[in-house]
Amino acid sequence: MTANAANETTPAALPSTGVAGIAGTPGARGTSVSLLNLTRVFGSTRALDQMSLEIAPGEFVALLGPSGCGKTTALRIVAGFERADSGQVLVDDKDVSRVAANRRDMGMVFQSYSLFPNMNALGNVAFGLKMRKLSAAEVRKRSAELLDMVGLSVQARQFPHQLSGGQQQRVALARALAIEPRVLLLDEPLSALDAKVRLQLREQIRTLQQRLGITTLFVTHDQEEALSMADRVGVMKDGRLEQVADPTELYSRPATAFVAEFVGTMNRIPGELGTGVVTVLGVTVDVRPGGPTSGPVDALVRPENLTVAVAEGGNGIVTNLTFLGSTTRVAVLLSEDTEVSVDVPSTTAAAMTPGTAVQVALPPTPVLIAPRAR
Amino acid sequence: MAEITVLSSLTENGGDPFAPRGRRRRSFPVWRWLILIAAGVYFLLPLYAALRFAGLSGFKDVFTTPGFLPSLWLSIRLAIATWLVTMVIMIPTTVYVHLRMPRMRRLLETVTILPIVIPPVVLIIGVLQIAPLALRASPWLLPLEYVILALPFAYRALDAGLRSIDVKTLSEASNSLGGGWLTTLWRVIMPNIGTAVVSSTILIVAMVLGEFTMASLDLQQTFPVWIVLFDQENAQISVAASLFALGVTWVFLMLITIIATRQSRRIGGGEVSLFAVAPRQTIGN
Repeated sequence: MTANAANETTPAALPSTGVAGIAGTPGARGTSVSLLNLTRVFGSTRALDQMSLEIAPGEFVALLGPSGCGKTTALRIVAGFERADSGQVLVDDKDVSRVAANRRDMGMVFQSYSLFPNMNALGNVAFGLKMRKLSAAEVRKRSAELLDMVGLSVQARQFPHQLSGGQQQRVALARALAIEPRVLLLDEPLSALDAKVRLQLREQIRTLQQRLGITTLFVTHDQEEALSMADRVGVMKDGRLEQVADPTELYSRPATAFVAEFVGTMNRIPGELGTGVVTVLGVTVDVRPGGPTSGPVDALVRPENLTVAVAEGGNGIVTNLTFLGSTTRVAVLLSEDTEVSVDVPSTTAAAMTPGTAVQVALPPTPVLIAPRAR
Repeated sequence: MAEITVLSSLTENGGDPFAPRGRRRRSFPVWRWLILIAAGVYFLLPLYAALRFAGLSGFKDVFTTPGFLPSLWLSIRLAIATWLVTMVIMIPTTVYVHLRMPRMRRLLETVTILPIVIPPVVLIIGVLQIAPLALRASPWLLPLEYVILALPFAYRALDAGLRSIDVKTLSEASNSLGGGWLTTLWRVIMPNIGTAVVSSTILIVAMVLGEFTMASLDLQQTFPVWIVLFDQENAQISVAASLFALGVTWVFLMLITIIATRQSRRIGGGEVSLFAVAPRQTIGN
């Protein structure tokens, strides 16, 4: 660990008065953003395919998805760095699709370290304020306040190469917020940081966003980040939004098999499809709306929704145990080479060593089904 | 056996097995010394011979010799004009290619190397055929031609500089904060490729101060042309003038190298050297 990394701190408390002209009650400064039928094609790749999304004033929305799903393209179109082939971007119901990036009034924090190497931390934060032709005294005052807000007053005179990655991203955040943007855009700002710093910065971004009430669009491939930070999460696949919902709903009531399997851990258990019902592990349960109506199917069940108990002559054999703290993930081999994961309290798992015969059961609640995986 | 290994390592490190490796004396084999001495003799012997030939009187008389100062001053002005035109053309072009047309980089690289392949005499004869009458035999035709000669040096140095920074992200960061294209170029990109600009400056100045063919065919008495002409009249003074110019150029280039390196290190860059731009220092997470 370097000296700077050791100094990695989250400010204990945010200043009570906040930044002049910035601080306010949550939602006070929010701007609405609408993405309407955005389409963008790169060669033979359809990066965005009629994508639409509404972001309410002051809302924190995360776009989550695998690489190449179009989430960064959507963010870059909102920022003005890319033009959509068709569709519109509305900010407070005003079409900004043809407005240049430097006139859109959007603050952005990038994935790669984007601080200007020739300017110290204070100079970086001051840059946007100077572009707005504020007086030198005002620029100095507000830059210092912003740096203080992200807990980096001491590092004000340090150049980017003298700052750790986490500190650089905090300066980048202060720089983006300094201009009092209408919308804050975050392009995987935590992905280059180590786990501990990532967690600290994650909390700090969320706290500041809530405090300032600034409308925020956050792009990430990390589901934990998206679920823990955002008011709503949009899961993207092949340039389309599969589902937009709050984290709880997204996790517990995924709309599609893709969302179900992309967010959290999901078991696929072969089932027999009937009319509106599916028989899984000997239990017949209702099928949730959506999904196939015929053909071989798998039921999608989360590890915590299955139960397991030691049972001589049960339907499975324990193959592995992964200790996760208060719970233990038990891997069970069912018939037909189907392996499932079941989360049980660690105290219960003590009785289940690899090779133990167990009975895996499914509670009688509706399940999501998907075409059977080969 | 293991004991012997441990003991030998203790002896090597002055009793401290954990001493940093840098504290050991670095060996410098004899063959390296031989190459160094051979190269030194190869480069310095002609200079020494020239110094002996010119003698002290040559250096005394050089400043009062007719044509010396005007020709040197003309070459300096041409170097400044060439540098200015090259930078105005090449910096925006190279940045634009990096940002918007990265696939064109190879083509640009090939095009900029052409002046090395085509002899200067061919270039100047072609240019003199088509140049406007007002520019023919005018000193201001030369910077326009020198820009072509400078392309290989300027492009490579600037390209190396731009590759050492994330031009795209820095430009977009500047844009998102309200910076327009010119502001981004002037306040964000230029200061971060200062090392590359200095490298190309050194090469351009050295090239212009030594160019003979184009200047003589354009009928301009630049410093190298004056040296060649005056050599027939008084070889001693001519050689003294060459050595003087060499010394002045060397001191000038050393100065800007030192200043640029100091500036570069302040912002985390590396040492300024021709073509090579050291990667930026980072601290990590």
